[in-house]
Amino acid sequence: MSGIVCAVRGGPASKSTIDRSIELAKESGLALYFIYVVNLDFLEYAIHSTVQTISQQMENMGEFILLAAQATANSKGIKAQTFVRHGNVPKEISRLCHEIQANYLVLGRPNIQREDSLFTEKRLAEFIQGVEEQTGATVVLPEPGES
Amino acid sequence: MNKPVRFWGLAMVLMLTASLLLLPRRASQAQAPTTGWLVTGFILDRQGTAVQGAQVNLMGEGDQEPLAQAVSQADGWFTLVLSKAPASDLSVTIVREHFEEILLHLDEATLATLRSSGSVVLNEITLLRRINLSFWIAALIFASMLMLIAVGKLHNTLAALLGATTIFAVSYLGRPLSPDLYIFDFAGALRFVDWNVIFLIMGMMIVIATVERTGIFQWLAFSAYKLSGGRIWLLMPILMIITGVASAFLDNVTTMLLMTPITVQIALAMGINPLVLLMPEVLASNVAGISTLVGTPTNILIGSYGKISFNNFLTNLTPGVLLAMLGLTLYVEYIYRKALHPQQEEGIANLLLESLAERARITEPAHLKKAGVVGAFMLVLFITGEHLHLLPAVTALMGATALLVWIRPDIEEMIEAVDWTTLVFFITLFIVVGAVQEVGLISFIADGIGMLIGENLLLAILAVTWLSALLSTVIANIPFTAAMLPVIGYLTVTVPGAQSKVLFYCLSIGSAMGGNGSLIGASANMVTAGIAERAGYPITYAHFMKKGLPALFITVGLASLWLIVRFTILTNGGA
Repeated sequence: MSGIVCAVRGGPASKSTIDRSIELAKESGLALYFIYVVNLDFLEYAIHSTVQTISQQMENMGEFILLAAQATANSKGIKAQTFVRHGNVPKEISRLCHEIQANYLVLGRPNIQREDSLFTEKRLAEFIQGVEEQTGATVVLPEPGES
Repeated sequence: MNKPVRFWGLAMVLMLTASLLLLPRRASQAQAPTTGWLVTGFILDRQGTAVQGAQVNLMGEGDQEPLAQAVSQADGWFTLVLSKAPASDLSVTIVREHFEEILLHLDEATLATLRSSGSVVLNEITLLRRINLSFWIAALIFASMLMLIAVGKLHNTLAALLGATTIFAVSYLGRPLSPDLYIFDFAGALRFVDWNVIFLIMGMMIVIATVERTGIFQWLAFSAYKLSGGRIWLLMPILMIITGVASAFLDNVTTMLLMTPITVQIALAMGINPLVLLMPEVLASNVAGISTLVGTPTNILIGSYGKISFNNFLTNLTPGVLLAMLGLTLYVEYIYRKALHPQQEEGIANLLLESLAERARITEPAHLKKAGVVGAFMLVLFITGEHLHLLPAVTALMGATALLVWIRPDIEEMIEAVDWTTLVFFITLFIVVGAVQEVGLISFIADGIGMLIGENLLLAILAVTWLSALLSTVIANIPFTAAMLPVIGYLTVTVPGAQSKVLFYCLSIGSAMGGNGSLIGASANMVTAGIAERAGYPITYAHFMKKGLPALFITVGLASLWLIVRFTILTNGGA
């Protein structure tokens, strides 16, 4: 197996990531895989116990976000598969890259200015290095607006 | 333990608790003995609150040992029993931690009454507060707890638990070093825990857990989309109404946790920014949640402390909430007027909407029907409970038990659905707030506010509402409300016209609608932002404040206007 993994978070920031992955799939002829990771860390300090129910709702939302990405790819002649995973975002992305022996990982450029961002500059560099070393995939980070 | 045993065990515990709460309460006043000479009295503090646990000694002239001893009860009354005829000179000493010691000489007239009739009732005895080291320590612990919760460095429950434990540690370990370090003992602390609140919240948690798994929210949200015909200006208020009604019966956090993912999907299908729908929803949740007694934890606290029934909330607060919702709807329609046009490509939109229709179904129709029947029964009991002397906690426990027995859900899941962390939070919060009450901090705050407000009801309404609203934008509203309750209780007694309990409604409005002023103002805001961020639409602090702060001024303004009309112009009404 081989292909392109595109990590989708949703929102306007994901547009350039999705477009770039579709373009890459067209150029290389490789299969395209979209992944969304359900991460419920924000519920850590919330007073609530029904994480299981919410997890299902978040999974539905992730599937929906990927469905939109899949439809976009479809409209451009590219068939794409979707994966919704639960847990730590970098680990799950890395795991999928490993599973499908990805050639490329297209990643949205995280907004590291935000306090709650999963990535700092250093952690992003470490993640890219880790993915490239462990899976052999080339990490592509499209600039916002780039396609 | 196997599942049936655990199931029936939980059901039994709930029913037993409901039964215990239903038992008529024994009068707290001590039964007066029938022999000997009786000296009775009533001890209160400067705010008129009964003082429990005061040591009262009756001393004869020159005596080293007291002639009689008593301890004041929960209602402040004490009874001294004198076994021999009263001497010519008697005095009463009253000793109580955190109060100045008092010495009262019984005058001739009082002694004459005692001798002639065998008993005498003393005038009300007011104890004055004494500030010592424990006052400052309790105040520091309380402020630290609020700070820890506000900055989010510790889980709310952990912050409150830390506060309660520190209070006990200071009281028990510090007392041998200095009596001034004593705040209260374990039994004294438990007196401040409001078990009605704990069991009402617990019962509602089980009810909510049953309802939230039925898919009703997803179905309602998609039905709203269909009803609006894709017109965003119409969809927005429909979703606000759904969220508002749900928030009035369930807690706001649960409502937003369930509404946000489906709302994001509807918005994405329509090709609009989800925040156009999410912001009005969360603002509506914070506003409409206070329509009923069970809509917010703050209302549960207020209702229990102020003895305000489900009906009182409906009749005195709901019209104000409706007015505020109207203002809020006009406001969000105005601020989002440029974002009301769908932008999704038709092909993709149709595909997404088909998928949405598939997902937005009732997943457990049989459970939903049963939950609906039990919910309707609970509503009837909440409304009629006042006349049946039925505590809301009992209704919630009966509803929870009925659902458990009728639906027979997985008992493990139901036990997990009870958020024990929240219950521990409330118990420990009551202890910390009880500590500052015990040492007199709340009394000083009440005195201060009372002096500022004077006897002006209008000023009191405005001050309590707006002070609560503005403070709730930065302070967690549950501990704030819990701390304010004795203050409001004092003002209710001292401000002419406030006996209608209007100031409790002011606190309810302020503490809930104030949550709209900032992202950290309410837990519902935080979970909405968390989900929106995971859909790629972050809600920043600045964004929330820009949209939420004007909403706060509009809704609090309109709701307080209603209270002024209701309780000052349409007089002769009340709780």
